[in-house]
Amino acid sequence: MRSFFTRSTVSKVAGWIALAAAVLATVNPVSAQQPAASVVQAAPAPQVQPAQQPLAPPPPPSWQQGRPESMKSSTLAPNPPGLTAKPASEMKLDKIKLLPGFSIELWAQGLPNARSIAVGAKGTVFVGTRLIENVYAVVEKDGKREVKTILKGLYRPNGLVFHNGALYVAELSRILRYDNIEDNLDNPPKPVIVFDALPKDEPHGWKYMTLGPDGWLYFNIGAPCNACVPPDTHAAIVRVDPKNGVMETVAKGVRNSVGMAFHPNTKELWFTNHGRDWLGEDMPNDTLHRVSKKGVHFGYPYCHQGDFVDPELGKGRSCAEFTPPALKLGPHIAPLGMRFYTGKMFPAEFRNRIIIANHGSWNRTNKIGFNLMQVTLDAQGKPVKYEPFAEGWVDGNNYWGRPVDVQVMNDGALLVSDDVAGALYRISYKK
Amino acid sequence: MRGVSCLFAGAWLVAAQAIAADVEAGRAKAEVCVACHGLNGNAVLPGVPSLAAQPAMHTFLQLVQFREKRRRDPQMSPFAEKLTDRDMQDIGAYFAAQKAAPSSFVVDANKAAIGRKLLEAHHCGSCHMPDLSGQNQIPRLAGQNVEYLVKQMRGLKDGSRRDIDGTMASAAQALSVQDIDNLAHYLASVK
Repeated sequence: MRSFFTRSTVSKVAGWIALAAAVLATVNPVSAQQPAASVVQAAPAPQVQPAQQPLAPPPPPSWQQGRPESMKSSTLAPNPPGLTAKPASEMKLDKIKLLPGFSIELWAQGLPNARSIAVGAKGTVFVGTRLIENVYAVVEKDGKREVKTILKGLYRPNGLVFHNGALYVAELSRILRYDNIEDNLDNPPKPVIVFDALPKDEPHGWKYMTLGPDGWLYFNIGAPCNACVPPDTHAAIVRVDPKNGVMETVAKGVRNSVGMAFHPNTKELWFTNHGRDWLGEDMPNDTLHRVSKKGVHFGYPYCHQGDFVDPELGKGRSCAEFTPPALKLGPHIAPLGMRFYTGKMFPAEFRNRIIIANHGSWNRTNKIGFNLMQVTLDAQGKPVKYEPFAEGWVDGNNYWGRPVDVQVMNDGALLVSDDVAGALYRISYKK
Repeated sequence: MRGVSCLFAGAWLVAAQAIAADVEAGRAKAEVCVACHGLNGNAVLPGVPSLAAQPAMHTFLQLVQFREKRRRDPQMSPFAEKLTDRDMQDIGAYFAAQKAAPSSFVVDANKAAIGRKLLEAHHCGSCHMPDLSGQNQIPRLAGQNVEYLVKQMRGLKDGSRRDIDGTMASAAQALSVQDIDNLAHYLASVK
């Protein structure tokens, strides 16, 4: 409840952002590329520097922050981005291991950098991107599936929500709304700006967005670094009321969440979170969290995975101060999209299980992740089983694809997006 | 040490697989490129980047960016428009297999000396590698054309050139015009 403001208090917001920017300057003097149209000025334009006076040197790139001196010669670096769509011949779907009765097929291809999935009321499948400015729509027409690029030139349009006929798009620093989108796929309307006062930091700045049962839009504002004490505005999950632009903090101490969903029965928010890098091959774990109370703090940057105090930033702190995760998911696996299985196609025991898409590791010698995992909860909502659902996007240290998001379709099948193959897969079940 | 050698082998395999491209096919497809980018991709025209020994993935992804109009240049853009992904992969593989020739550019030694210090202060080797040979999507900077380097760094700073994920645009914010000039002289001098 600490960050609470409305669009009518824009000046306050601007001050808030400027403050955040000032605090941030010590961490990461970034706020680099900005979307074309922005109402709120983040900070006054910088003064022109005298030619001979060098600017202060910056910190290392965010992925390398926190790397110990002893690992200076490490060749570990983030995996290269996927910006193209692979031909079907390069997708080794026959190598994907599934449970008995399940099968996987290539459902749509030609969607470079395919990220979050949202489904429209009329069955349109919308797909966002992180690095290439597009939003796609996949439609069935005359029995044929067609991929359209419906929006272009957006800035990090990673988060998508479909609600009341409109497509909501979360860019790096704005939430946009495209009304009546399914009837206007070939000529989308000008967007309505729902909210545009979000920070513009690039590291962990892209959004995953989901719709709450309360009608609010929930999304992440990630830490602008690998490991740092973030501004109070960051390392959080927040929500915005699309009706009036009011914003509230939902959870704090969250390094970066790129996947979240509401439990179909309890209506509690669950989300995946990425642990920090450079603390070892197997530490700390990425995590799954349950938000039982608004405003709860999950520990970042002081405590990781609920029981591991950060060797530098956690000095003088204890994990007992914070809420632990519901489940440790494994180190460096990069859990992204997650959904509760609410369909009727899969066997009855799959009902309300969580299926998580793991993008796969970089900060580890041997790659892990690159798969889908499933979490079974007991009647109290406690995870009791954590096991593979689909594996085989990586072979040794070579990956050919990277799962990003999962989405339960109306027929109960599961769609999976892949931003390296630029494709959507469909996982179905037959007795 | 064993872990390290495994890692190198792994990285090599990933690179080999990612290319899956044909150097010889690339040679034929790159014939049109050498008019500006020089014999074997060693450019001599001012402002034109050398492509020899660039990581294959870098050349591939930059061609994609030109084709998709996320990077624009009046000379370059028309050439990228008609290329398929496969063409771009082949061209990337071809230039990656070429040897970088020593640059004939006469470096200002004073500027290069300052630039060398800036290189460390600004952590350029983190992504571009300590020997500035680049990796994956990250370009080789060693021996690159000085005017090209200046233009790109200025563009990244003022936002007229967007990089893929914002890392370089962020890094460029901390460079003054003078810094950029000094840094470019040093980078151009690296063999």
